[in-house]
Amino acid sequence: MVKAYAQEHVYKHPWEIVTSASWRKFADPENKRTLSHILDVDTLNHKLDAESGKLYATRAITIHAPGPWFVRKIVGQDICHCVESTVVDGQSRSMQLTTRNISLQKYIEVEERIRYNPHPDNPSGWTVCKQETSIRIKPLSALASMAEKVEQRCAERFLQNSVKGREVMERICKYLESESRGITF
Amino acid sequence: MGIIREKKPKSSSSSPSSTSPCADLRAAYHNCFNRWYSEKFVKGQWQKEECVAEWQKYRACLSEHLEDKHLSRFLEAEALDSTARADSASVVDGAETNS
Repeated sequence: MVKAYAQEHVYKHPWEIVTSASWRKFADPENKRTLSHILDVDTLNHKLDAESGKLYATRAITIHAPGPWFVRKIVGQDICHCVESTVVDGQSRSMQLTTRNISLQKYIEVEERIRYNPHPDNPSGWTVCKQETSIRIKPLSALASMAEKVEQRCAERFLQNSVKGREVMERICKYLESESRGITF
Repeated sequence: MGIIREKKPKSSSSSPSSTSPCADLRAAYHNCFNRWYSEKFVKGQWQKEECVAEWQKYRACLSEHLEDKHLSRFLEAEALDSTARADSASVVDGAETNS
């Protein structure tokens, strides 16, 4: 049982700004109210390849995902840890983030891939964001009988959250742009 | 159930980040990183790694307090490499197959 969703969104901001916003998306306390399902973000590892201009980072994201009461009862927790791996290629201007849950893997596997690239029609001004989400309920899990319902809920939540995520991204982009205009060297 | 070894906050409305022992070091590192990323990295100035002192302090705190064993293994450099490789075969030079 796999469900996959793909979305595409164009940010009318340059790649440099959009990817800066992406790093700040969860950490900024201003946004904690909008993205209230995100509890914590920790950087676990990072590496810079100074020759090729590639940056790698692994972050832990703690998500509060209460779900229906029976899910909590079965899995015994309402906090979920995800691991996000990011690769930024500064030379070709691409950023790719892959997020997977590491909690509750017995029951469900969620993988989200996001790519930010300069928009082909306006590479210096716009950024295209491609997002793919796949949700897989393990067939033999205790949740299997209600899997359809759970998948639906997960999907709704993901779609809701990605809309909220875009609002946050827009706000940070605008903030970063006004900040960079304000700085005079 | 938080990743940081601490008493679980009673109310779900209070974020664990405000009480976590690494919160200040985490904020210092993330601020430094975000600044470096926007002001240097995206402009092609990636030759020099910055925020090293902030990272070392924050990482030391994490390795002391990170409780979740699944997360702890990501603190190891090798884990990062293999994750990054598996995730981004298209962007990483010399991508290998798992064997």
